[in-house]
Amino acid sequence: MARAKKTSGFWRSQVMERFRSKRSAVWSLRLLYVFFAIALLGDFLANEKPLYCVIEGKTYFPVLHQYGVDLGLTEWSPELVRARWRELDYESVVFPPIPYSATTRDIKNTHFANPFRGQRVASPRFWHWLGTDQLGRDVAAGLIAGTRIALLVGLGAMALATLIGLFLGTLAGYWGDHGLKTSWIRLVLQVVGLYFGLFFGFISRAYSIGEANAAGGVPAALFTGLIWLVGMLVLANGLGFLIERVFRLRKQVRIPVDLLVMRSVEVMESIPGLLLILALAALIRKPSIWYVMLIIGLVGWTSIAQFVRAEMLKVRRQTYIEAAQALGLRASRIMFRHALPNALSPVLILIAFGVARAILSEATLSFLGIGLGPEEVTWGKLLSEARSNFNAWWLAVFPGVAIFFMVLLFNLLGEGLSDALDPKRDESGPNS
Amino acid sequence: MGAYLLKRLLLFLPTLVIISWVAFGLSLLAPGDPVIGLCADQGILVEGAYERCAREYGYDLPPFYFSLSPAAFPDTLHRIQPQYRRHMLGNLVALTGNWPEISRYDQQLESLLRRAAAMPDSLNRQQKIDINQTLRELRTTFKPGQVDFRLARLDSMAQFSLYQSYLSQESGALLQQWELVKTQATPILLIRPDWKWYGTDNRYHRWMSGLVTGDFGISFKDKRPVGSKLRPAIFWTLALNLSAFALALLLAIPIGVYSALRKGGRMDRFFTVTLFGLYSLPRFWVATILVIFFTSGTYAAWMDWFPSIGLGEIASDASGWERFWVRTSHLLLPILCQTYGLLAFFARQMRGAMLEVIRQDYIRTARAKGLKEEVVVWRHAFRNALFPIITVLASLFPASIAGSVVLEVIFAIPGMGLLTYDAIFAADWPVVFSVLILGALLTMIGIWVSDFLYGIADPRVRLGRGEKNGA
Repeated sequence: MARAKKTSGFWRSQVMERFRSKRSAVWSLRLLYVFFAIALLGDFLANEKPLYCVIEGKTYFPVLHQYGVDLGLTEWSPELVRARWRELDYESVVFPPIPYSATTRDIKNTHFANPFRGQRVASPRFWHWLGTDQLGRDVAAGLIAGTRIALLVGLGAMALATLIGLFLGTLAGYWGDHGLKTSWIRLVLQVVGLYFGLFFGFISRAYSIGEANAAGGVPAALFTGLIWLVGMLVLANGLGFLIERVFRLRKQVRIPVDLLVMRSVEVMESIPGLLLILALAALIRKPSIWYVMLIIGLVGWTSIAQFVRAEMLKVRRQTYIEAAQALGLRASRIMFRHALPNALSPVLILIAFGVARAILSEATLSFLGIGLGPEEVTWGKLLSEARSNFNAWWLAVFPGVAIFFMVLLFNLLGEGLSDALDPKRDESGPNS
Repeated sequence: MGAYLLKRLLLFLPTLVIISWVAFGLSLLAPGDPVIGLCADQGILVEGAYERCAREYGYDLPPFYFSLSPAAFPDTLHRIQPQYRRHMLGNLVALTGNWPEISRYDQQLESLLRRAAAMPDSLNRQQKIDINQTLRELRTTFKPGQVDFRLARLDSMAQFSLYQSYLSQESGALLQQWELVKTQATPILLIRPDWKWYGTDNRYHRWMSGLVTGDFGISFKDKRPVGSKLRPAIFWTLALNLSAFALALLLAIPIGVYSALRKGGRMDRFFTVTLFGLYSLPRFWVATILVIFFTSGTYAAWMDWFPSIGLGEIASDASGWERFWVRTSHLLLPILCQTYGLLAFFARQMRGAMLEVIRQDYIRTARAKGLKEEVVVWRHAFRNALFPIITVLASLFPASIAGSVVLEVIFAIPGMGLLTYDAIFAADWPVVFSVLILGALLTMIGIWVSDFLYGIADPRVRLGRGEKNGA
């Protein structure tokens, strides 16, 4: 408890202060909050349904109502199921700021309506402020929907990459090539467990995973396989532990954790990332944004693993780790409770830069038209539509600005964090 | 040094083998039937043509040296052709686990198919077509409910059509056999692991031996050897990336050194902000903007500064200089786009490295000795600041190759990126996975060269030792 308090004290007094003193970092964080708000409240900002309306004496809150319908709590009344919301007779109505959804096709303004002139709209209220695309979809609404997808993919992919990177990096850095010893019986049982786990988790389920791909449920199928694998390993470990105790086995073998992890990092880093992502995304039969997230996350963990490993190499020689070891604490406890938290804060920098990169990867993929569901509107997809019509400058400019800003903000955040966490970095010049 | 480089080279081998597994595994998972991809234009529907094609390209071989599968699967499943039949049988085995019965069902279905195809048209053409259609559907159906449904339809058609005398017995037997498949399931065989050894006559072995001798296989799309498509592609990708690298370094070194020496000055702040902005500027956006506004007169005639996308036309009698000029003018924009991102990165690294070096004691000593400022900066500081740059060079090369994919697509430069992109949309997997392997190879060469340069730049470096101490 005392330790935790002290850590937060350090954070509050030193790091936060330095972070706050840097204006660009503070502003990038504030603007990111705005982006988050847009992503969260997107349905209320751009929607073809009114926020509030009165039809024939009855009051509706259609946007809210849609949430209820999506959750299965209520249903639309029959006359509203296929309503054309813009053409209904309202007694009173409040539309969202942008009265179009990202997928709404405004049939009067198809074929790239210019934002400044020549739009056929009932009133200025329905003007397409940022123009439309080929199918008559509002660009501003598309940008808002794209914000949500960009943040979702960026943060989700990075969360996955961070988890994998932290785990592997901690193991490699803490154990090194010589630290992890285990009795040979446990090792043998682990290999057997791995064998059966892979078999039951993936090989014997190969055909059902294939079927899941046709139906669009690969992540769930793979996750079940993973549970099998982990379960088998835990079982083998437990069995090994029992045998160890019962027969008092002392003879031990070394496991070169570091070697194994660093080799896999090297393999991952040797494959040009985007090419691997392209090849993987092309295998998916029913593309959706979740696969993109999964793939970017699975490919992007190496830098974090390498960094955490290097940090752990430093941390594990600190006296408090020796003290913890001398106290006889379990290795997993030392690793994840004592060592990792002290190596963690610099990882934040990598995460911030990593989110920026993941957002760029997603935008690149959807720009190339790979890995996207037909109904998903993203910044990259909007931008790519500009290539089919050079006249539609608004499709080239606005989505690009959005991508640029999002990437810039995350980069600024990373920059601010690295200044705050490592003050020596920038004050070490000759003239200061 | 030499021993270290050799050791690194040897360490690449296992990495390369693992990458080849990844690429080959992905190629197994790729959707579509490769045999049809290869021989579609040679009349695949002719009796035996499919099998001949599969044999010619080795698709009747087992995929790997060994296989691990549930014991229910026969060790000859890979020989069954065509792919959809193999796929349906595999799925059936995965559902019930009783291969002998399934095999019998398969044979009966096959003989029924042959029989139905040979029935005379004269009785009732439409009925014959319907029966054959249902049978062909059964060839790809494995979900029990759907099989039940189709078999029932087939049976009623066989019983009550004019072709009764040809089929009624066989269709009844097929129905019975299907019941056997369903009732005599052996699920225990599905959870028993079983190793099967196939030896070296397998697809992976053939593919790898091909790769080693420079034979990358045949492209599905135009039946040309993949190698002959890759060679020009590699040239253009390297031309684009290497010139961008050189240009970026040429600009980044003076900017980085200058900023570091005048840290906090107006120019330093200007460079820092600009480069940071450039660093965050998505290349494909800039490229799209440049293409839209500056390669055509769409907006104003005077904005048509650059030639349109592609590599341009070259007359057959053009001189060498003319050729060079046409290509260069077309490559100008993509190189520009590739350069600015690298420039931002290099210059930041250069500045950081210089700042680190310049506060060292030996720099102060050098200054105290009264050496000229240029000598201090370029001889003493710059040389030492180069190491970090060299290490990032290697790590950046793969990223740069991958990053040029989107530029090649936008500017229609026929490099590896555009080749991959087109191949993915054409389901031309041999090309995709060859590029993957080749990209990895180029990356490893990049890492190796940077190790080499590192050793040259700093003779003190005794790499390969003291690595155990980490950090």
